Amino acid sequence: MSDTHINIQDFNTYYSGHQALKNISVDIPKNQITAIIGPSGCGKSTLLKCMNRLIDLTDGATCSGKILIDGEDIFDKKTDITDIRKKMGLLAQKPTPLPMSIYENVAYGPRIHGTRKKSKLDAVVEKYLTMVGLWEEVKDRLDSPASKLSIGQQQRLCLARGLAVEPEIILCDEPTSALDPLSSQHIEEQLLRLKKDYTIVIVTHNIHQAMRLADYVVHLYLGELVEHGLASEVFENPKEERTRAYIDGTFFTDLAIDKEINLKGNVCPYNFVYAKQALHTLEKDDVLRIIVDYPTAVTEVPRGMETDGHNVIRVKQINESDWEIIIQKK
Amino acid sequence: MDIRIIEESVFKTLMILSLTTVIGSLLVVIGVILWRGLPVLTLDMITKTAEGGYYLGTGGGILNAIVGSLYLAVGGTALAFIISVGIAFYLQNEYSGGTRLASMTRLSLDILWGTPSIVYGAFGFMVLMQLNMRASLLGGIIVLTLLEIPIMTRAMEEVIKTVPQELKEVSYSLGATRLETSIKVVAKQAFPGMITGVLIAFGRGIGDAASILFTAGYTDRIPGSLFDATASLPLAVFFQLGTPLPQVQQKAYASAVILLIIILIISITTRLIGKKYTKYIIR
Ligand SMILES: Nc1ncnc2c1ncn2[C@@H]1O[C@H](COP(=O)(O)OP(=O)(O)OP(=O)(O)O)[C@@H](O)[C@H]1O
Ligand SMILES: [Mg+2]
Repeated sequence: MSDTHINIQDFNTYYSGHQALKNISVDIPKNQITAIIGPSGCGKSTLLKCMNRLIDLTDGATCSGKILIDGEDIFDKKTDITDIRKKMGLLAQKPTPLPMSIYENVAYGPRIHGTRKKSKLDAVVEKYLTMVGLWEEVKDRLDSPASKLSIGQQQRLCLARGLAVEPEIILCDEPTSALDPLSSQHIEEQLLRLKKDYTIVIVTHNIHQAMRLADYVVHLYLGELVEHGLASEVFENPKEERTRAYIDGTFFTDLAIDKEINLKGNVCPYNFVYAKQALHTLEKDDVLRIIVDYPTAVTEVPRGMETDGHNVIRVKQINESDWEIIIQKK
Repeated sequence: MDIRIIEESVFKTLMILSLTTVIGSLLVVIGVILWRGLPVLTLDMITKTAEGGYYLGTGGGILNAIVGSLYLAVGGTALAFIISVGIAFYLQNEYSGGTRLASMTRLSLDILWGTPSIVYGAFGFMVLMQLNMRASLLGGIIVLTLLEIPIMTRAMEEVIKTVPQELKEVSYSLGATRLETSIKVVAKQAFPGMITGVLIAFGRGIGDAASILFTAGYTDRIPGSLFDATASLPLAVFFQLGTPLPQVQQKAYASAVILLIIILIISITTRLIGKKYTKYIIR
């Protein structure tokens, strides 16, 4: 196996009391793509945010344990946080251009790190826009607002902006989930091309994407590290049953469904009300399966249940018109 | 008929009524002021200072009040801006992180905002007396600064608060410091809103009479230094309407028209500036 780039040791994160990461220890290999997979709310984004200490911005979040990057403890008091962040580019779920022109977006990082000369900045902008395949599309309108680009172009711009500070690591949090298939493919191709020079960590919900990209896989579940290893081994022959279940998309078949209701033909908010009544008859930790066919219910019922503090285990389309929503009472 | 349809129409009528009240009263106010003020708004009125005393003098114009008001409001707004920007950014989570001091600051600003301006005036007057100073342009500017700070700060803070967290995260993730993020990203994104805050405060400052009554004084001349007393438009209206002479009363309406025009110019500029600088804003 190749060298370790990010070394995470006994790492814990708490959000004002709630533990989001439990004793995570894992080594992230250099110049490879590591995919972090796991169901919603298992702490993937949290782990990513700890790697560049953006977690510092969250009120009430505390961490313990160590994260070493190139052997340097990033949570150490003596470590300069801007240096750490300069080493890492971040690609967020939603493309987030800065409120400035296309040119200024890419030049932002180099500028704050001391590049002043126009000719140098021009070269940097061209280099990285070319690298992400955007140069030809935007070279005639570098001064127009970045927000005018299409969503897919914006995401590539964000990638270029991150690369322009010359990081060693690229952190991606579901970078393609807001994009159309073609733009997603574009980003995936970029990442594959970039991995010879960069260490890439990508959080993804999409198991197929993980299979296409990853050399190394980290599987989190409810804040715990379930399994990690080479992608080829984890995907083909997972050691842990939970990983196998997650990969097969049958994560909770082992969890007995305690009650099932069919809410087809109901609209919102009746869907939600009936689901709530059904949950009311159950015990804590019991599992309820709901079938709905009303499109709004697919997003609103899970959201409402989460607000009520229940655990939404799965939302999945089961045929042309129907969706299943699986909820665990809390 | 269906009760829900009745409800709907009752509600609609109420809405239309309140809208007409708002727009109607605005039009009536503007109409009356223009009707009384425009006929007397001669060129002399805006190019000459008052002659023969501001209280009983019938000659001259109100140039002293126009210039005085602009001096006062521009000075007060400039000082308030410098202070407010600092406070508004400090009140962000990254700097003050929900500390006691931050919530105390907010509370103080809200109380100051609600304080009647005559109280500022009285306070300023007492301070001037203690310092053995007379009413002056400087005194007026300082009191207006105090009056405008809470308005400006709270307005700016509200806009700054709406800057999406993701934008800041992007900036931090590129290795920017808090200050760089505040200046280059937050201030840019919030700029149009901050300008609106400044101009609202300016409007409040230029229109306030009570706070400068004792602190800026009133005079026939244009102030030559910060320590001279100065005239102002709101006080011109106040004094001139109070005279028994119809010619002087007319000057009050001319002052009111000028004040109205300044406020209109400000509102329109706000809109235009807002439009111009929203080009790069992320929505
Ligand atoms: N700012 C916060 N304050 C409190 N709790 C939080 C905060 N952010 C996340 N959490 C909680 O921490 C846990 C992990 O959240 P995280 O966002 O890391 O999950 P995730 O794996 O990225 O999920 P998703 O796939 O939905 O993005 C969740 O239970 C979440 O509710
Ligand atoms: Mg996430």
